[in-house]
Amino acid sequence: MSEIYDIGYRHYDGPRLGRGHTVRALTVHSLRGIFGLGRTARSKIMPFSLVTIMLLPAVVSIAMMALVKQPGLIPYSGFAVIMQAVVAIFLAAQAPTVVAPDLRFRVLPLYLSRPVTISEYVGAKVAAMTMALFLLVAVPLTLIYVGELLIDLPGPPGTGEFFGSVAMALVLALLLSTFGLAISSLTPRRGLGVASVMAAYLLSSAAVPVIYGTLEMSGYDSQARWAWLANPFWLVDAVQSSLFGTPSHAEGPYPGGPIPAVLVVALIAAAMAVLALRYRKAASR
Amino acid sequence: MHILATEGLTKRFPTVTALDRLSVTVGSGVTGLVGANGAGKSTLIKILLGLLPASEGTAKVLDLDVATRGAEIRRFVGYMPEHDCLPPDVSATEFVVHLARMSGLPRTAARERAADVLRHVGLAEERYRAIGGYSTGMKQRVKLAQSLVHDPKLIFLDEPTNGLDPRGRDEMLALIRRIGTEFGISVLVTSHLLGELERICDHVIVIDAGRLLRSSAIAEFTHATESITVEVEDGAEQLTARLAELGQTVTPHGRLLVVKVLGPETFDAVRDAAADLDLGLIRLEQGRHRIEDVFREEAAHV
Repeated sequence: MSEIYDIGYRHYDGPRLGRGHTVRALTVHSLRGIFGLGRTARSKIMPFSLVTIMLLPAVVSIAMMALVKQPGLIPYSGFAVIMQAVVAIFLAAQAPTVVAPDLRFRVLPLYLSRPVTISEYVGAKVAAMTMALFLLVAVPLTLIYVGELLIDLPGPPGTGEFFGSVAMALVLALLLSTFGLAISSLTPRRGLGVASVMAAYLLSSAAVPVIYGTLEMSGYDSQARWAWLANPFWLVDAVQSSLFGTPSHAEGPYPGGPIPAVLVVALIAAAMAVLALRYRKAASR
Repeated sequence: MHILATEGLTKRFPTVTALDRLSVTVGSGVTGLVGANGAGKSTLIKILLGLLPASEGTAKVLDLDVATRGAEIRRFVGYMPEHDCLPPDVSATEFVVHLARMSGLPRTAARERAADVLRHVGLAEERYRAIGGYSTGMKQRVKLAQSLVHDPKLIFLDEPTNGLDPRGRDEMLALIRRIGTEFGISVLVTSHLLGELERICDHVIVIDAGRLLRSSAIAEFTHATESITVEVEDGAEQLTARLAELGQTVTPHGRLLVVKVLGPETFDAVRDAAADLDLGLIRLEQGRHRIEDVFREEAAHV
């Protein structure tokens, strides 16, 4: 039997790594938290069931390609729009877990008393949420694409459309994560954060088709098109449409031109500004 | 070498002046920062961490200017806030490992250091359980552990004994003393209770309403006021007169006489005087004043 000796306090003289390391560690830590890794089994249920739901259409698409030798049900460019409810639920359920606990339990001062700065902290959180949403959309897309290549359908594979949709998935992920985090950072209560993000999404997804329909029926066709830009998924689809010439995945056409892209950039900047203001206030407490 | 030094440090908020031209230096060891609630202790710590800009004046920590080299300071300084700062749903181990990494320690080093400091602060098997179920004493230990995990040169402990029962308070104070001596880490510890700091500090700084009342070594605090308390059955007046004749300074305090200690001869004088006058000596004790008394005296002068 070995005996345990009290060897007293030992000093640490190993390496102390720089900002790159801490920001990366915080990003990975937050990303793991979003998927409930290293947490209780209960916190894994929501993210993993949503990931499974996202993968189902990919599996069905591959099965159809293999059996009927026909392109899958869902086009690459329309995947995010068609699956938008699932992506939105993921955002609403998981964005508050990224920011709310540190604010509610006042852990933030412990970060700030270390070399981590407030902008590095917020940057790492945004990066983690963006990565999670990107994986949520891009993994099923990639699966379908790999399936398409392996099954070897007649005609060329939709490589251009696939890469375009993956790029747009990243833009969508950044837009959604900045907005989701900005909304959920305003309330330190997680439940309230979930409800607020969900309400914001439902408002934009339910109201937009109604506004579009009303305007179109009243004969304001060209004005009606702008309505789609009020929902983040259709907004990003509109950008994709004007960048890559893909068809609209809404029930009507989008306004063309650079406006949708400008709007995306402006919205991301606005959400970042809200985050910056929110955290500047939180830091001075 | 000074661990920290401030020069004319002033912090004004829109409605109050939290620090008013504070100039103070702190050496290594355990230093107590004493003041009532709202005296400016927490504000001072935030400025020293480089988290709050000063309105006027300068401050240096580990010879680094807080205004410009905050990030470097925070690499070698630990901080235990006064308020709750622990998420309930993670274990102490996970939490402390994560914060070690936030201080720049590589993954394996972070794990080793976290295990080490949690052992030193006295958290055993419970460190694998979620913090939500901990007692106040255990939570304070986790807060202390996270401030030590990156092996800082200096730690700021803001009211570490807050909310603890008398036993927990004693254990926490003993631990702080060990950190300052055995671990060789300098400590700046705040409290509004003067008595408890007296037991563990080498040096005490007293501030009130953001101004420096006093800063000196603990020995000076108690030395300057050393006296003995004498009680006799009857004839206190006679004794007072006799002691005065012998050149001693005597102050009557009701039935008690407080005699200022000039040296070993004071004790002899009391003994001889009592014997000569044939008085029944009931009490002869070292009347070491507590810091409280000094604080009260100083506060009365201001």
